[in-house]
Amino acid sequence: MGSINWRLTLKISSLAVLLAIFCAVPLWNKEYITMVFMLIFLYMSLGHMWNLLAGYAGLVSLGQQIFIGIGGYSLAVITELYQLPWAVGLAIGGLLAVIFAMVISQPIFKMRGVYFTIGTWIVAEALGVFFSNWSYVRYARGFNITVSYRMSTTEVYYLALAVGVASMALVYVLLRSKLGLALMAMRDNESAAETMGIELYKTKLKCFLIAAFVTGITGGVLYLYIAFISPSAAFGIDWTVAMVFMVIIGGIGTIEGPIIGAVFFVLIKQFLYDYPGISLIILGVLAIVIILVAPKGIVGTLNDRYGWELLSPRRRG
Amino acid sequence: MKAVLQIQDLSISFGNNHVLKSLTFDVMPKEVLGVIGPNGAGKTVMLNILTGTLQPTKGKIFFQGENITHKSITERCRMGVGRTFQVPRPFEKMTVFENVIVAGVYGGGLVEKEAQKRARGIIDKIGLSPKINWFAGKLGLLDRKRLEIGRALAINPKILLLDEVAGGLTESEVVEILGVVQAVKKQGVSVVWIEHVLKTMREGTDRVLCLAEGRNIVCGLPEEVMSSKEVLDTYLGVDER
Amino acid sequence: MPEYAIIQSILNGILLGGLYAIVGIGMSMVFGIMGLTNLAHGDMIILSTFLCIFFVTQLIPNIFLALIITILIMMALGFLIQNFLVNRVLDKGGEPALLVTFGVSIFIQNVLLMIFGADAQVVHTQLAAINIITTKFFSVSALYLFNFIVALLVIGVLHCIVYYTYFGRSIRATSDNVVAAELMGVSTKRIYSYTMCLAMVSAAIAGLLIGMTFISYPSTGTQYLIIAFGVVVIGGMGSLIGTLLGGIILGLAQLLGAYFFGAGYQALTGYIVLLIILTVRPQGLLGTAIRK
Ligand SMILES: Nc1ncnc2c1ncn2[C@@H]1O[C@H](COP(=O)(O)OP(=O)(O)OP(=O)(O)O)[C@@H](O)[C@H]1O
Ligand SMILES: [Mg+2]
Repeated sequence: MGSINWRLTLKISSLAVLLAIFCAVPLWNKEYITMVFMLIFLYMSLGHMWNLLAGYAGLVSLGQQIFIGIGGYSLAVITELYQLPWAVGLAIGGLLAVIFAMVISQPIFKMRGVYFTIGTWIVAEALGVFFSNWSYVRYARGFNITVSYRMSTTEVYYLALAVGVASMALVYVLLRSKLGLALMAMRDNESAAETMGIELYKTKLKCFLIAAFVTGITGGVLYLYIAFISPSAAFGIDWTVAMVFMVIIGGIGTIEGPIIGAVFFVLIKQFLYDYPGISLIILGVLAIVIILVAPKGIVGTLNDRYGWELLSPRRRG
Repeated sequence: MKAVLQIQDLSISFGNNHVLKSLTFDVMPKEVLGVIGPNGAGKTVMLNILTGTLQPTKGKIFFQGENITHKSITERCRMGVGRTFQVPRPFEKMTVFENVIVAGVYGGGLVEKEAQKRARGIIDKIGLSPKINWFAGKLGLLDRKRLEIGRALAINPKILLLDEVAGGLTESEVVEILGVVQAVKKQGVSVVWIEHVLKTMREGTDRVLCLAEGRNIVCGLPEEVMSSKEVLDTYLGVDER
Repeated sequence: MPEYAIIQSILNGILLGGLYAIVGIGMSMVFGIMGLTNLAHGDMIILSTFLCIFFVTQLIPNIFLALIITILIMMALGFLIQNFLVNRVLDKGGEPALLVTFGVSIFIQNVLLMIFGADAQVVHTQLAAINIITTKFFSVSALYLFNFIVALLVIGVLHCIVYYTYFGRSIRATSDNVVAAELMGVSTKRIYSYTMCLAMVSAAIAGLLIGMTFISYPSTGTQYLIIAFGVVVIGGMGSLIGTLLGGIILGLAQLLGAYFFGAGYQALTGYIVLLIILTVRPQGLLGTAIRK
């Protein structure tokens, strides 16, 4: 008992220190560094959600950009057309993302496996075309999101930090909860999970809705930083490409995978900022190599070899 | 005494392959019913129908008097139908402890604390205590089969469906499994036990049913069934493993 | 003659369906034979388009020769990708192989972007300006008709290969039952690689036709991936005739959508029809009915 308490204290205090460091990043006064950290947190949140779907719930979606687009456009419409505060935009973005997810879940869950994968992608593409033809959102011209001109990088950074930490905490709590047991069981063997009384459909739906909400909010914050939104970019596959690469590289079906993956992804992308194609080429090759030689990704492989687990959802007997 | 499980006129076909043909039998309370039959007789298919994995083409299943033919897999599980898989399907990246907890929480309807307590007891009973924190993927065949039983027990079943839990095990290992089944029976659980090893069936069951070509060809006390003409005919040329 | 425009739309939709059939046929074969959804299929088509353009403009001003070279390159590429990447993960379940092809897709897109830039590309051809038939009610574009005829030819040739050659028999044996095929001495992995080569031949031809008919960007592959997938879903996996029907249904859906709602909605109606089909009949519209 004593040793467990000691371990817990150590864990909590190191987390507190880490959090303090992250909070202090803007004090460094290097806008570029702040921005890189901001991106890491936002991408981490996206990665966590894709991992929740593909790594645990067996839902390999290539349509998560749906929710980024909804989040981003909600922000743009609320702040530009209605002149309301950005916080309202973010909240509505999250809400609409869940509602849309709920609406499409009925038909989209009829599609299994690769049909689901491409089905979600088609929905995203269709939304992109639809928005390009919709006068309310100014067709393909899109919006300049002017609120973000009035926000400093630091402000957006703290939002991103909040989103990142919240998504992390959410996934952790989720996996330690009853739902987490079901998810881990489903990840390992769906049919056995079902015979143990786990309702696959319900569990998957919960994950789909949670992921939609968080991805929607994250999308809103991302567009608070990007400051310009258009249908082809907002509903473009590039967002999901990022999620897929991060999670594969970091380790699919692990809690820490998306964190490592996000750091990798953002750093490579920023390092090769002037050659956007090259960073994706490198990441693509890296992802393929990892699938071929270390399908569990960085974290999963370390995990197997050294029993290394930073944030374990384990129950000990 | 009223039967726990009643199977009435159960049939299933896959295209032209009529696997079960009008199968009828009852399982009584606190009874261990052995099911034998040659390879491909339809034993596993029968189990899959009982758990809801497959839908029968015809026929009805009553569990404690209630018609469960159209209930879902999870509903039946929660009503107390526990099963094992012929080829074990552990949750490989979860520990033995967690494997059993999952079943307790979802199938048994317990809160996690309670499920943990039950899991410890069950793991002790199936002899996996030393490996409680092992990843299930690292277990050998015997331990996997034990874990299958453990998970099925954790849902607190009223009926336990076992699919060849003793197949491929050594003599002493089989004795262990026999002990577990007897203990389960003492708690008032009925058991349907599919097995090829006739010796185990003779020792561990109250009644034996022989399934051949999808039909219940003979059913009765183990000794009678084993020496019946029908079973000898069916197994003629098949040595007693 | 706006009242006749619908006739034109239907005609064009059918002819466009031929082009879509070639776009989808390679994916259909790969899916039918090895159960793989090749997410890079659209990008492979666009890669072929860009290769054709490159050869015609930089090396040999003969479009036929350019196509031949493109076909050879694409076959080699298909073989390499299948042999060294996809085959290695094919028995580890569906996801790894799917994600490998996703990686390949992103790779091809970005290599194209790097080399050719983000500008629009097109294969110039005189066919585009000619109408074979012009009546009061409709006209037949030489290019669309050409596409359709090529589609019929490609499907016919593939049919002959699949049904009348030893290679075709091995393919069918493999797609029916992997174990049995292995027992008969067929190396399934090898067959998969050859299948991918064959699919790449069709992708190369599709690439040229696409390049002649539409403008293309490095990122257009996605669009053709979805069209290919649609053709496969509507037409049934691995069915050659179904592919043609699938292409025509999708082409009609798009052009009738454009006719009724405006040109901006062409792609959208295609997507929506596809989504409806996926929801109502997840196993495909024509499903296994046509598949032999
Ligand atoms: N899902 C299915 N679809 C089609 N046919 C099936 C299916 N499941 C089982 N079968 C067929 O049903 C028959 C009976 O199979 P089953 O697995 O029940 O045999 P069994 O009695 O359990 O044999 P064994 O002792 O080898 O386990 C076999 O011919 C099998 O091919
Ligand atoms: Mg069996």
